[in-house]
Amino acid sequence: MEIVLNVQSITTGYEENKILTDISFAVNKGEFIGIIGKNGAGKSTLLKALRGFLPIKAGTIQLFGRKLQDYEQRELATGISYLQQQIELTFDYTAWDMVLAGRYPYKKWWQQPGDDDKRIVEACMKYTGVHDLRRIPIKAMSGGQRQRVLLAKILAQQTPLLFLDEPAAGLDLFYQEEIFRFCQEMCKRGKTVIMVVHELNLAARYCSRLMLINQGKILADGLPKAVLTDKLLSEAYGVDIRALVNPETGHTDIFTLPQPGTDEKNQLLNIIVGSGEATERTGEL
Amino acid sequence: MKKYHLKLVLTVLIVALFFVICLSLSAGQYDLGFFQVVAWGLHQLNIPLLNELQLTEQQEAVLMYIRLPRTAVALLVGAGLAASGTVLQGLFSNPLADPGIIGVSSGATCGAVAAICLGLNSTSMFGLPAFAFVGALLAVTLTIGLATRNGRIPVLTLLLAGVVVGMLFSAITAALLTVMDDHKVQQYLFWTIGSLDYRRWEHVLMGVVPITLGIIIMLLMARHLNILALGEAEAKAVGMPVVRYRLILLMVAALTTASGVCISGSIGFVGLIIPHMMRMLVGPNHSHLLPVSILAGAVFLIFCDSIGRSILTNSEINVGIMTAVLGTPYFLYLLRKHTDLQ
Repeated sequence: MEIVLNVQSITTGYEENKILTDISFAVNKGEFIGIIGKNGAGKSTLLKALRGFLPIKAGTIQLFGRKLQDYEQRELATGISYLQQQIELTFDYTAWDMVLAGRYPYKKWWQQPGDDDKRIVEACMKYTGVHDLRRIPIKAMSGGQRQRVLLAKILAQQTPLLFLDEPAAGLDLFYQEEIFRFCQEMCKRGKTVIMVVHELNLAARYCSRLMLINQGKILADGLPKAVLTDKLLSEAYGVDIRALVNPETGHTDIFTLPQPGTDEKNQLLNIIVGSGEATERTGEL
Repeated sequence: MKKYHLKLVLTVLIVALFFVICLSLSAGQYDLGFFQVVAWGLHQLNIPLLNELQLTEQQEAVLMYIRLPRTAVALLVGAGLAASGTVLQGLFSNPLADPGIIGVSSGATCGAVAAICLGLNSTSMFGLPAFAFVGALLAVTLTIGLATRNGRIPVLTLLLAGVVVGMLFSAITAALLTVMDDHKVQQYLFWTIGSLDYRRWEHVLMGVVPITLGIIIMLLMARHLNILALGEAEAKAVGMPVVRYRLILLMVAALTTASGVCISGSIGFVGLIIPHMMRMLVGPNHSHLLPVSILAGAVFLIFCDSIGRSILTNSEINVGIMTAVLGTPYFLYLLRKHTDLQ
């Protein structure tokens, strides 16, 4: 197995805040890693640090055996592409303009995009099914279309590693699953994907490895089956969670159980709407 | 919104440029016909058309030494201001950014007032422009210096620093004005409104090199500007050294504006309206937007100057007033239309 990314006991965070401490792991070529954990656990911070966006206060990150700091900005962008969580555009850039931006690291500062770049952009847009939308401004697109365009952009960057920060957030079921399928296919073709995920059911089905982050540390790291256990998930998310294998599909499904204190809430509801009415309402629901 | 074809827009603008140049050469108190100017132009190019419309010697002198340099200055300044405005709007991802926003205008004004105060403008015609240029440079350096933190230039901090530096330089200007006599204050007022009166070939020579150079660099950087306009995070993700490019573009835009301000005084609205208008026509891709804006800026300023000279019979209206009068309502109209569509 070829190690593409080697992380050795790094500590990182924003400014003075240490958000992640003493994180170590190695990433092999072709892996599809999902980073999971509750909000604020440090998932996105980890991804940003791995891409070199945050200062590393201790430890080292090696990409293909070379320290991340030793890479030039442009060179690093030909090794790792990064799909950020939210993109805010002021101007009406078209889908084509956006995907073409993925070719930026391959050009010297005076060079204009050439025919080969245009061919790559076209191929990537066709691959994610947005070629017909190439002249449409990104701002006018639906969330699903936009993510497909951004996906085409990081594919046009032609990097061996792809980092995606919550790419499925806010999308409907079809698009969510589509993103996971795209990534799985990329990994089968020799790319390596690291993705911050909230959709645990999809992560269970598509990722080859999961990393559970809790309070700035890796709580568990391994095959989805080994990470998605009642005990680990309940500890990381702070609620009672059951991971069950669905007999129909054979996939792991994750459920949260009612939290302690819910009974008390019901009683409060009874007081607010009046007990008789409350039962009626519950019936309606 | 429908985007027009780039070639169509460029063609229309080039035709418009020739038209406004002839208009500008024929407008004013001294009588020179529009077609006489056209004939003169054709004659210079050895095209034997309209031969019956020959200029008198006096007319040719007015054309050569008064109207041509004035038109050339308008062309340079209009193009430079529009280019700088386009770059700054892209750089800040803010369609309302303007060369005035990073302190260039107030710095230049302050420098000019200092020159007037020292009486330098009456001893040499280079004194005031040189001071204005230094003032603009000082203001921009100070703005960038204040805004840089840990090697980063956050956009919001930069805009705020620009406002603060602008206020500082305005205060110095005000202080200098209070100690100046009426005659000098009059000169300052003339300069600050922005005027193309009495521009000579020396003014053209002073501005042509820095403005042309600035425009060429900006055109070369169009592709980088597109990446910067996608936002800092996106630019970093594709491997752009964001701070370096921001600094370069900021400096080039500032120097181009400063050079323009030096030879014409501070003329507002061109750098704000033109890029905004042109973006609605051809879209935000700077490889298209920049050349179109440059042409449109030149057309607009030459047109404003010609109109300002033609309205009153015995006097003229400063071009700075004209750009504001013509620019503001159109800008408001476009803004309204734009937000309605959204």
